[in-house]
Amino acid sequence: MDGDQGGLSGRFAARALFPGGLWLLVFFAAPFVLVVAVSFGTPAELGGANYGWYPENYSRVFDPLFLPVLARSVGYALATVVLCLLLGYPVAYYIARFGGRRKQVLIALVVLPFFVNYLIRTYAWVALLSDEGVINGLLGESIRFLNTPWAVILGLVYGYLAFMILPVYAALDRMDPALIEAGKDLYGSEWRTFVHVTWPTTFQGVLAGSVLVFLPAVGDFVAAQLLGGPETYMVGNLIQQQFFGAEDWPFGAALTTLMMAFLLVWMVLYLRSAAKAVQTA
Amino acid sequence: MTKEQWSRRELLQGGAGLALGLSLAGCGVGNQEAAPKAATERVVKAEPDGDLVYFNWSEYLEPKLIKAFEKEYGVKVRESNFDSMQGMMAKLRSGNRYDVIFPSSEWVDRLRKANQLLRIDQAQIPNAASVYDYFAAPWYDPEADHTVPYAMYASGIIYRADKITDMGGSWNDMGNPAADGRAYLLDDFQEVIGAGNLVAGADLNSTDPADVEAAKEWALGLKPKMRGFSTDDIQNMVSGNAWIHHGWNGDVVNIRNQVDKPENYTFQKCSEGIPVGADCFAIPANAEHPGTALTFINFILEAENASKNIEYMGYPMPYTGPDETFAGLVKGDPSINVTVEDLENGQQFGDLGVQGRRLWDQTWTEIKAG
Repeated sequence: MDGDQGGLSGRFAARALFPGGLWLLVFFAAPFVLVVAVSFGTPAELGGANYGWYPENYSRVFDPLFLPVLARSVGYALATVVLCLLLGYPVAYYIARFGGRRKQVLIALVVLPFFVNYLIRTYAWVALLSDEGVINGLLGESIRFLNTPWAVILGLVYGYLAFMILPVYAALDRMDPALIEAGKDLYGSEWRTFVHVTWPTTFQGVLAGSVLVFLPAVGDFVAAQLLGGPETYMVGNLIQQQFFGAEDWPFGAALTTLMMAFLLVWMVLYLRSAAKAVQTA
Repeated sequence: MTKEQWSRRELLQGGAGLALGLSLAGCGVGNQEAAPKAATERVVKAEPDGDLVYFNWSEYLEPKLIKAFEKEYGVKVRESNFDSMQGMMAKLRSGNRYDVIFPSSEWVDRLRKANQLLRIDQAQIPNAASVYDYFAAPWYDPEADHTVPYAMYASGIIYRADKITDMGGSWNDMGNPAADGRAYLLDDFQEVIGAGNLVAGADLNSTDPADVEAAKEWALGLKPKMRGFSTDDIQNMVSGNAWIHHGWNGDVVNIRNQVDKPENYTFQKCSEGIPVGADCFAIPANAEHPGTALTFINFILEAENASKNIEYMGYPMPYTGPDETFAGLVKGDPSINVTVEDLENGQQFGDLGVQGRRLWDQTWTEIKAG
């Protein structure tokens, strides 16, 4: 019998899962069922959907028209991951190794911007980057920063940087500093010690950070909407438009469902790699 | 044994999730049948019955009047904005309750036919008595009993006269090279496809696939020269990010109120024809405080308030008395004028029909994604 194994504590644990489970059920599973149901419907008068069985919504997704949109989203998200890694790893490294007593404060500072809504922070970038905005004012120029792919990637990096710093920091903080000393004792240069000791030890943190940055970035629509131009249209914008621009909820729901399936693949790959890492550790 | 119980429980949970999903579907989002007519027909008195939940375009009503209304009637105004008619519709559709909304005429037509608007007894709004005759039986509300006219507008091109000196009077000026990547098209499927139809010499509301295809090609041809799609013509012009903006006439007045050199901002009515129309006050069928909404509408239409409002937002309100304020505004610049004769003779966005709207919606997605 399964129950004997965990005894009372197992049953208690199962009960403890209840609030979280209920939460997920009400705010994730139920809406998702709704999205799937809408995705097989037809657009109704005044928005919404007439339920039915119209898999055509899904075949429309594979219109070659949308291929560049998907490629662009993945490209922007990958660029965001790389930049977040280049910016975030040194920050995490510094805090974990040299933060000392100020570690908690420094981590709090990394998280602090998240107290302000992402949308509002992105609007702040509009004010900063405008042709007659703050940055151009300081430079005395009128450089066109805004409405370019670079501005979109900047917005994404800014928005999701902390998702990279935190897991990398956790991995570095867990790492035994004696490992680095050992590397150096064995005549490893700073760089070789990093490549052969620190990086492999913290790789799972990097992977976690990359997934945490990639997933929201690839589906983001705010950055492209506010900082982008007509040629920076992302999947998120395409989905948003079906609900708020084109009154085609079923097609928007079909796009959403497939997008989630696409993200799920990445998530599963990551979880499997993480599980394997735990086993080998 | 235990396993079986669990799987049954999981099944139950799954079922509950499904049921919940479907019931959510039933009570809001996907709900297709029109609201019961009787519920929208009751006569509501213009007496405050709670805080006002207000839903409008941004910068489309003098904020001081909202403060004054709060003070005079001791209610709060909870304000939110939409940036497209579809955005407004999506919010309504997902079950949000508003007391007063500002749909344009073609959306009034659709909302009214679906019984989504509360009947408005004109006797409750004495200040609306001075409305122009045209609005006694407008096409979108033949009995004039579900809306109160708010303002008239025309769509065209807003531009910086100090930067762009060779405007040609055409919609094709959107692609004027002097704008140098500082041009925006409206982020609105009707406005863009409608303008494209007019350029192609077709009717504004044409749903003929050949016309719509030509409109699409026109928009796609402009796209590489555009800086973006946006309905925020006011802020894009004020910030200097736009030199040419597909936009609405009255917004020029609002822009001029916000910049150092107002004489540099002007409006072009395009020779291929321009869309004209009316925006209205309306009360959604599920409004919680329709009495406050009626009080608010009457308050805004008080001659003095309406005049202040016109000075702020820059659009003519079709009421004898306040219209003199707008006449004063356009005396110096006839290009921003729009009159009730324009509404009678010009082209207004209309009902595209279910098939036609599908075609326009899909074409719009192709323009944005293409």
